Amino acid sequence: MGDSRASFFEHLHPATIPARSAAFTYTFGLGGISVLLVLVLLVTGVLLMFFYEPSLARAYSSVAAITYEAPYGWFVRNLHYWAGQWLVVTATLHMARVVFTGGYKRRRLNWLIGLGLLVLVILLDFTGLVLRWDADVSWALLVGTNLLREVPLLGETLYRLAVGGETVGAATPVRFYGWHIAGLTIALLFLGVWHIWRVRRDGGISHAARTPRLSRRALVRTEGLATLVVLTMLGVVSLLWDAPLAPPADLNTPAAHESAAPWFFLGVQEALRFASPLLAGVIAPLLVLGVLAALPYALDRSAEGEGHWFNAAGRRAQIVFAAALLLVIALTVRGALR
Amino acid sequence: MRRVALAGLWPLLATAGLLLVVVGAWLRERTAPWRRYQDDPQVRAVVPSLTGQRELCLTCHWSIEEISPSHPVEVVGCVACHGGVGIALDEDLAHTGLIRNPGDLSVAAQTCGGSACHSGAPADHRDHLPRVERSIQATYAGAIAYVLRAFGVQPDSVARFGIYAVQSYEGPPDNGGRPVVEALAAFQPAPDAPPLVQQFAGNCLTCHLSAEAIQAPYFYRATGCSACHVLYDNDGLYKGGDPTLPRDEPGHMRRHELTTAIPYTQCNHCHNRGNYELPTMTFVPRADIPAPDYLNAIERRVHEYYQPIGQFTLCEWELDCVDCHTRREVMGDGYLYSSQRDARYTECRTCHGTLDAPPLSYTITDPDDLALRLAFLNPNLELQVGDTILMTDLGEPLPHVVWRGDRLELTMKATGQRYDVPLVLGSGCQQRPDQQESHYCHVCHAYERE
Repeated sequence: MGDSRASFFEHLHPATIPARSAAFTYTFGLGGISVLLVLVLLVTGVLLMFFYEPSLARAYSSVAAITYEAPYGWFVRNLHYWAGQWLVVTATLHMARVVFTGGYKRRRLNWLIGLGLLVLVILLDFTGLVLRWDADVSWALLVGTNLLREVPLLGETLYRLAVGGETVGAATPVRFYGWHIAGLTIALLFLGVWHIWRVRRDGGISHAARTPRLSRRALVRTEGLATLVVLTMLGVVSLLWDAPLAPPADLNTPAAHESAAPWFFLGVQEALRFASPLLAGVIAPLLVLGVLAALPYALDRSAEGEGHWFNAAGRRAQIVFAAALLLVIALTVRGALR
Repeated sequence: MRRVALAGLWPLLATAGLLLVVVGAWLRERTAPWRRYQDDPQVRAVVPSLTGQRELCLTCHWSIEEISPSHPVEVVGCVACHGGVGIALDEDLAHTGLIRNPGDLSVAAQTCGGSACHSGAPADHRDHLPRVERSIQATYAGAIAYVLRAFGVQPDSVARFGIYAVQSYEGPPDNGGRPVVEALAAFQPAPDAPPLVQQFAGNCLTCHLSAEAIQAPYFYRATGCSACHVLYDNDGLYKGGDPTLPRDEPGHMRRHELTTAIPYTQCNHCHNRGNYELPTMTFVPRADIPAPDYLNAIERRVHEYYQPIGQFTLCEWELDCVDCHTRREVMGDGYLYSSQRDARYTECRTCHGTLDAPPLSYTITDPDDLALRLAFLNPNLELQVGDTILMTDLGEPLPHVVWRGDRLELTMKATGQRYDVPLVLGSGCQQRPDQQESHYCHVCHAYERE
């Protein structure tokens, strides 16, 4: 198998892996694509940091400078933006694949780590959006952060932690910046490495027992190819569609600009129309997360059906997950159609 | 075997795709839309001292003419007047919130106004905007009052309504005793008002500073402050240097310039362009313009300026409107008038004097004298401390009419052309000394267009 002179990238993988777990139609490469997107986000994020200035006076104008004046700044910003949007999608789809193939079975801790990663990805998207400091972030800034105040007992503390003061103001951009580039990113990297390490510790990507094995060289080659394809797709999208940029935010008259949540919070925004902020904005999302966290503990504790699409043993978990996902999607679509 | 061959092609295809993306990014960077306006494309930034905020507008509008020497771009920039997002190089974003005509009265308070600019204290003569908002050109109060009287809605021609509701300046006006009104309500004819009044409201409220111009040659103009201070050619074509503005699309200013050197053609975009036909309450544009080609320049001017049966004197077609009508007449004095007749106060004797006395004059001693400021704004006028200039009955300076020894010299504001002003004193004028108003002068000095 010619493994005697394995490259650095090959060394990151086990010597052989089950052929089934390398099949595209099994994983759709969603975990790997997510890792690739994180790498793209790290590289483009570092480039953006050279120009971005987290202050009330300079946040928006530095984003404009990146977009219009820095050489290829628009392209770097577009790549960062689209990779961030895609990551929410690929991470969610990855989670769905894990549920429907029973990948959480015998791997409960890693399921929780994965759930934590999804929350971090959403928070990273949210903080990244706010850093833009244009008129479109007023929902995120005002409604989004005010939701924190609805948390019983801790609300005011959480709010101050997020915005850096009694109200959104001079301390807020650097607060979001700190969370975005360091606090949340370090947590993401830590949980991400742990997540991948657990996958390997648990014997590779979950699979049915006794399948043929495959050289890691083939796997690395497939990964390389997937990298090229995904980067090309990301590049094409970034060439053709620009990351949004509205006029600068005006904190004094936020209502002057129509305020909509970022797409990944449209579901929450929609729910807020039907119930109180505490119920719709805090309890309901936490409830969904709670149900997801409890999935391998309360809904399906069996080990049967691991690696099999829509296995019978996990039927109850699959239905609950599908219902939760459909609810979020339905609310999001409804919100988007307004 | 075919599968293997295809599988072998994938890396090649993907690499080619990625290369295409890189080439695409390079192409897009090279062909950014703003680059098309410059031969040697570069981002052109200004940090105006007034705001301290970086502006990139000149990247596209790089060769636009400076709006005026009093508003240098290094000081005022573009955004202070025009709004928009000055640090964007994307047309849509840069022009979000763009104010095309900062002089429009709906926005002038934010653009031209401000206590440091043109809404300052009346004592400093910096209250231009509040005065204009009360001027008869903005309120249209005179026309409304006359029509309401003509159709029996009100018993007299005292103005009660304007285009918008507005209060007069407080306190008794120092205006030579001309009648003023305290306040105007917004004109909105009652449902039971005569049909012609309704039609008047629907068709005829088109001749005031907030009304959009008729989009036709001779009518092209802006609104608000710019209606007078931004010159439009009769063809409505832009002839300045901004590479983004079309040259063949009528409806644009002549150049991106504010001026106080306003020629009669500018006033003519509104005045003497046609008549309101009373039976139908519709505007009928004049059919006799442009003037026939065989006329010489001065004949053309008389022809295009005046309508037949209009009575006027020599200086009215030799000079420009602004050479006689003062700023307080044209831009208002803060008090509300019922008609043009009440708002106007310049008489022939303001410049020519009477049989008994030369016109009123004074010698400039204060370096901050209003006359010096007015002269500074006009490229054709030169005035200094020590000069003796004319003033109106109300003490308003005429910085363009100066005593040069025993000669009284008028410099036309719009062209710089100079005239000696003849005096009535010592002339053969046979007018009675107690009949010195202009309409008496017209009895002998009138000229009528065929």
